[in-house]
Amino acid sequence: MLYNFVFVLLFMLGFYTILIKKNLIKMVIGLNIMEAAVFFWVIAVNYRGGVIPILKNGVEVVDVVNPVPQALILTGIVIGASTTAFLLTLIIEINKYANSINMDFLKGLRD
Amino acid sequence: MKGINTLINKKSLYNLLKKREFHVSFVLLLLSVFLFSNFYYVPEQEIFSNSTAEHIINSGVKETGSLNLVTAILYDYRAFDSLGESTVIFAAVSAIVLILSFKTLPVSSKGLSFIVKRTFGILTPFVFLYAVYVITHGHLSPGGGFQGGVVLGTISIIFSIVYGSAYDYENYSPKAKTILETGGALLFVFLGGLGFIIGGYFLSNFNPTRSGLGTLISAGSIPYINIGIGFKVGAGLAIIFYTMIQKTYVEE
Repeated sequence: MLYNFVFVLLFMLGFYTILIKKNLIKMVIGLNIMEAAVFFWVIAVNYRGGVIPILKNGVEVVDVVNPVPQALILTGIVIGASTTAFLLTLIIEINKYANSINMDFLKGLRD
Repeated sequence: MKGINTLINKKSLYNLLKKREFHVSFVLLLLSVFLFSNFYYVPEQEIFSNSTAEHIINSGVKETGSLNLVTAILYDYRAFDSLGESTVIFAAVSAIVLILSFKTLPVSSKGLSFIVKRTFGILTPFVFLYAVYVITHGHLSPGGGFQGGVVLGTISIIFSIVYGSAYDYENYSPKAKTILETGGALLFVFLGGLGFIIGGYFLSNFNPTRSGLGTLISAGSIPYINIGIGFKVGAGLAIIFYTMIQKTYVEE
């Protein structure tokens, strides 16, 4: 399945970004890419053809996409936005105290 | 030929093997093979008979009065879940305000040029209209409280960037944002309590089939919950943005 391949590729791209990049904001971007990969996979694996789950008044239901994963992913997106905002706040505070958001520099500060 | 020789000489290969990027890529490649081989055998997700999804698709409109089935799940079947979700936003906003202490610094950015200000003066009312449309038609068309609330939150961001944060402070003060956010959350809880009195359990949808399907005022309590959530999310985003910019730019 193509979507499995795309999911693994995106997930690993995000993971690679978190492990390699020194800039804290780039690490948050990597976390967001991983999140987006999981959301994409859950939506893609549940798609088996059909129209959007918004019905028309008086028209008989024939072929509708499963609405349950969409509602769950909506919850996930909101939680992801909240955690991203919180992480960025922590980065602002780190920058205020250490004047840098570079991981190497911050590690040196600890010693 | 010379380029190829330098490319494959021993020293550069040795340097490549010593690099951190190479090690990480190797481990991640192994991990991705493992992940792919596992995810490849996930069975195709069908809509089984007698499942939750089938029940919602077949009788969701009859039970909730909402044509948008995702909204029906979010604000009727799993409304308690949405209450927890809005609590997460509230916790995030509280933590951010707590960390970046709520200082009422009026000026932190001066605003953009005259042309941009005029353009957004024409554009902003339509952005507001679109946000109100997305929020109030959550049970009829794509959208709902969370999505419309994000559009509503962008208006405060437009004020701060285009007109300068002093304008945002005067016309849409942090106090008003706080009142809107807590008011939205309280409206949600109040509707839940009303459902407890009328329907018998917390957040039950009262009288969903009273008025006709597909009209603006239908689907019982869903539109009102949407309005509460929309104000809450919009004001929460505005507070997050305002709290973040007030410290990053210093008044000159």
